[in-house]
Amino acid sequence: MESLLSPVILFFVLGALAAFARSDLAFPEPISKALSLYLMCAIGLKGGILVAGNGFTTDLLLAAVAGLALSCLIPIGTFFVLRGFGRLDATNAAAVAAHYGSVSVVTFIAGNQILTDSGIPPAGYMIAVLALMETPAIVVGLILARGGTNLKLQSGNELLRETVLNGSVVLLTGSFIIGLIIGKDGFEPVAPVFETGFNGLLCLFLLDMGLLAARRIRLARNLTARLVLLAIVFPLVNGTIGCLVGAAIGLDVGTTTALAILAASASYIAVPAAMRLALPEADAGLYLSLSLAVTFPFNITIGIPIYTYLAKLMV
Amino acid sequence: MVIKSHCKKIEILVDAPLWRRIRDQAMEMASDGYTLQPTLGGEGARGRWFDDQVTGGAGSKVVFTTVLEEEAASRFLDALEPMLEAYGLMVTVTTVEVVRAVSGPSSNSD
Repeated sequence: MESLLSPVILFFVLGALAAFARSDLAFPEPISKALSLYLMCAIGLKGGILVAGNGFTTDLLLAAVAGLALSCLIPIGTFFVLRGFGRLDATNAAAVAAHYGSVSVVTFIAGNQILTDSGIPPAGYMIAVLALMETPAIVVGLILARGGTNLKLQSGNELLRETVLNGSVVLLTGSFIIGLIIGKDGFEPVAPVFETGFNGLLCLFLLDMGLLAARRIRLARNLTARLVLLAIVFPLVNGTIGCLVGAAIGLDVGTTTALAILAASASYIAVPAAMRLALPEADAGLYLSLSLAVTFPFNITIGIPIYTYLAKLMV
Repeated sequence: MVIKSHCKKIEILVDAPLWRRIRDQAMEMASDGYTLQPTLGGEGARGRWFDDQVTGGAGSKVVFTTVLEEEAASRFLDALEPMLEAYGLMVTVTTVEVVRAVSGPSSNSD
């Protein structure tokens, strides 16, 4: 309940309500883009500085392997459920599955902040795990789309640029490395920009995301009740698996919750662009609506408290 | 000095992640260049869309414009045909008069 009343969540809800009520509240798009870059840069730096302080530990390695495994395996289960219960064709099921195997940076940032405010901050190395989990699901999704055989990318270089060199991946990884290099002392001169304003700017960004998610659901077509149900069940199941894995490898409560959030979240930044390139015949409106308009709001408002509760039970 | 010629101006509304493929096809057809224009949003057979700047451009569209000689334009449109459905392209073709400057001998040259 406490996390539901955090400013981050309340601003998100305000944005969603405003969009549903058809208010003329709007966020200038370049500012929204700038905010997302700022948040990724700040979270990457903070993660790198924490790892610089604690060093490379066994927990980091285990979390990285667990994250990679989840990112590869989640799309497979998701794909077959979408094909069966969701009644999607192979191309659309694979495209949607890739989104659920990958991760949502914004969900992670919001979760990270809520956990930190609750006194159970996740380990800094989870930023590296986040970056690792961005792309493997795209490859698995493409293999699933091609039926496991004759995987032939239409344009390898183009796809590589959209996945490995995707702006969010580059900025997160780059900031993380900068944080590792500069350490706590080097961070101090720039801390006022990346620390003092972080919470307030996160609230503004979540306000915009609330507007965006609600607009997306208002425009959604081809969304069946079955698919909406799956977009809620997938994060619950994947988040629970994330909790189980985190507890099994000995992570603390905050870090286990962060792994669960990563497993439960669905990408809507890196994967949509990659899928549009690799599987242009898939319905972009469908996968954007499911990940951004259903799963993202669910995770932000209900999912994160549930994963936190489960992690506390299991760890 | 200027010369005037009749050409085809081809404008293509294309999803932002896919515009480079259109450019590559145009360049193969001896296009001299192209122009990209951003869009705010719109509505078509596949529903409404808008540019949100957050979702990696997957939901955004751009307008790709190029001007080609008639024969090259015809070959370009043939090459686009397989992409029309899968990429959800909207292509418009207009005949235009292109005015180009041609540099003549300079009066100041020795």
